[in-house]
Amino acid sequence: MGRHVIGPVAEFPAGTRRMLVVEGRPIGIFNVNGLYYALKNSCPHQGAPLCVGTVTGMTLPSAPGEYVYGREGEIVRCPWHGWEFDITTGKSIFDPHKCLVKTYDVTVEVEDAPGVETYPVTVESGTIVVHI
Amino acid sequence: MEQQEKTIEQRTTRTVIIDCDVHPYPRNTEELRSYMSQPWRERYNGGGRGFYGNPVHGDRLDARPPQGGPSGSDPELLRKQLIDEYGYAYAILMPRAFCNLQPDPDFGNAIAAAYNDWLADTWLSKYNPDGVFKGSITVNTQDPVAAAREIERWAGHPHFVQVMTDSGSRAPFGQRQFYPIYEACEKFGLPFAIHPGTDGMGINVQPTPGFPTHYIEWHTCLSLGFQAHLVSFLTEGVFERFPDFKIVLVEGGVAWLAPLMWRLDAEYKALRYEVPWLKRRPSEYLRDHVRITSQPLERPDNDAYLLRMFEMMDAEYILMFSSDYPHWDFDSPTRAFPKLPESLHRRIFFDNAKELYKL
Repeated sequence: MGRHVIGPVAEFPAGTRRMLVVEGRPIGIFNVNGLYYALKNSCPHQGAPLCVGTVTGMTLPSAPGEYVYGREGEIVRCPWHGWEFDITTGKSIFDPHKCLVKTYDVTVEVEDAPGVETYPVTVESGTIVVHI
Repeated sequence: MEQQEKTIEQRTTRTVIIDCDVHPYPRNTEELRSYMSQPWRERYNGGGRGFYGNPVHGDRLDARPPQGGPSGSDPELLRKQLIDEYGYAYAILMPRAFCNLQPDPDFGNAIAAAYNDWLADTWLSKYNPDGVFKGSITVNTQDPVAAAREIERWAGHPHFVQVMTDSGSRAPFGQRQFYPIYEACEKFGLPFAIHPGTDGMGINVQPTPGFPTHYIEWHTCLSLGFQAHLVSFLTEGVFERFPDFKIVLVEGGVAWLAPLMWRLDAEYKALRYEVPWLKRRPSEYLRDHVRITSQPLERPDNDAYLLRMFEMMDAEYILMFSSDYPHWDFDSPTRAFPKLPESLHRRIFFDNAKELYKL
């Protein structure tokens, strides 16, 4: 169980992602609409680098002949076979119970700022930390 | 070139693998056009199927060369992601010319010839100092006599190991109009490989009852055309007429084979009368004349089901590994199969292809 500082919130805006290797594990970290998520960067199917795939939305369950598109930015598709995964849970869309990728906790921590203790601290000045 | 070739043992460090379906692409349409004479050079605009495109992505996103150009067009990247990554002995190259959809046979012939000249000049020579790449001679089946001449033009080339065409056709491939092609294949010892493409496109019929709505239907049902072609080859007596002729069914599915042969063998018991030239039950021709490549391998939830299918279809002697790199449904050599007994693994991943292609 390790705590790994990723960097300041200000440098990791919504809609962006980063690939890193932490404790020997390949990980993708995503900012989805201001919230941070981390997934193992390896597809449970055939081991492709899942997190470099297309970040997109999905066609939501609907009646035959209807198209309802949603969850823009919350879905990553594997770059090989195109399987869809929910970035917020690591679960696949086609079989969330049996096909899923490992997730890691990501927190935003407020750093102590010596000498400026009277200033208000906002989330924008925090640090992103992933917990392995 | 031949002198520079390393032995398989020098080139590979892990499991010895022959991949029977790898797709090289020209860097752009202009590169292919440069191998055409006029008027085809100015008329050729590239060309794929135009519809039934994969709505997600058609190729591995990580296979697109960073400097641009289509996936499969950069030999260095292909070597890194495939040859070196998995320790290949050989990759059998299958260019995608889509010439079978052309209504003008002369245009189809010109496209096939240009692909062959391009492949011979690039992937089979400039990019091939170690001889890891083996090629396929593209032919245009709507002009079988010209196709036979094209085969003859390349016969004896050290790196062309088979003839290939699209599964799309106006007729089942066992019919007699195609025999000039098979005669040439047999004469020069080249297997005839069929790869999905141009089904229902241009002049060709679609093997489903009409045109399906979605890519998922079209792609799933590609195996129907392969089944019809195989039944045609067997019942027309192609393997009696051309006793040294062999076919390779590439990317047409695997798990359907045994039940189809059960059905055909059952029919034969009464209907042998109609096809008296068959000297054996239809299924008994497979080991001598038919090979089938693995990708996209069906994977039922229970691995034991697939292993039983392998046993039922004689996979030990007729199944050959293929990846389909760089396409979207790529099968990893290390992840696509359930665990196999070592001897079966070696036959599927190496021996069957080595023997067929005389490598």
